[in-house]
Amino acid sequence: MNYDYQQIDDVIHSRIRTAIMAVLVGTDEAEFNFLKEKVNATDGNLSVHLKKLEHAGYVSVKKLFVDRKPVSKYKITSKGYKAFKNYINNLENIIRSNKK
Amino acid sequence: MESKQAELEVSLIKKMMEDTRKLNIDNGVHYIFWGILVALGLLINYLMLVFKFYTKYIGFVWLVMMVSGAVADVLIGKYQSKRSKVSTYAGRILTSLWLASGVAMFIYGFVGSFSGAYNPIYICPLIATSLGISYFTSGSIQQLGWLRSVSFGWWAGAIVMFVFPGIHTLLIFAIMIIMLQIVPGLLLNKKSKELLMENA
Repeated sequence: MNYDYQQIDDVIHSRIRTAIMAVLVGTDEAEFNFLKEKVNATDGNLSVHLKKLEHAGYVSVKKLFVDRKPVSKYKITSKGYKAFKNYINNLENIIRSNKK
Repeated sequence: MESKQAELEVSLIKKMMEDTRKLNIDNGVHYIFWGILVALGLLINYLMLVFKFYTKYIGFVWLVMMVSGAVADVLIGKYQSKRSKVSTYAGRILTSLWLASGVAMFIYGFVGSFSGAYNPIYICPLIATSLGISYFTSGSIQQLGWLRSVSFGWWAGAIVMFVFPGIHTLLIFAIMIIMLQIVPGLLLNKKSKELLMENA
């Protein structure tokens, strides 16, 4: 196979994180509970993965109160958008190189 | 990474993105809200003209109705956006489109007629033309062919109202508002509720 495994972004390369990025890339911003429903993860698990993406600067979080309840809204950053685009390009390269 | 795994990942990403894209559907609440408000305004306007009842205050009645409608709409929008679990780029574009359309209609309706630039009877076809543009764009953004087709109804009605102006223009426009604004709003609302049920 003709690809460099080092090009695969480890931050995105996990089922849950890939799913989170795929949801966020199509939205302006999404609430924690929405992401939880979409990626089918538990609160704790999702929090860990979101923290990882946040630390990499791929997502940003906005915390607010709605009806006195804390709400976290997540948004993909431009750095995250570029990284996700690269990640998809790499996946496509892998598929293409294998088909040759 | 194996090619098969990569293919699986790409299909997962596509599915997630496709699911999110479906969320772009407008819930139609604003269509219904403005539809009822404008249809009511047109009826009041028509009755004031027919019964010659304080006709010099017609403009003022519209101004009060539209300004209070805009304030209520902003408050509803803020309430909904704070509570919505997700917001999309398409949603933001749609909000901008309708906001810009609203400003244009305000200028046609109030500035154009109060300045004496044209007879107030031409406000209806001008607004119908503007609504046609907004429906066409909105339907394209949401990839809803039927919503885009509604714009042809607005433009056809605008032509009729431009060619045959008169007091009946108000009634024609009221019927158009019911058929081309409230009914599509109800359809969008039904569709968005079905989508919410699917995603629940």
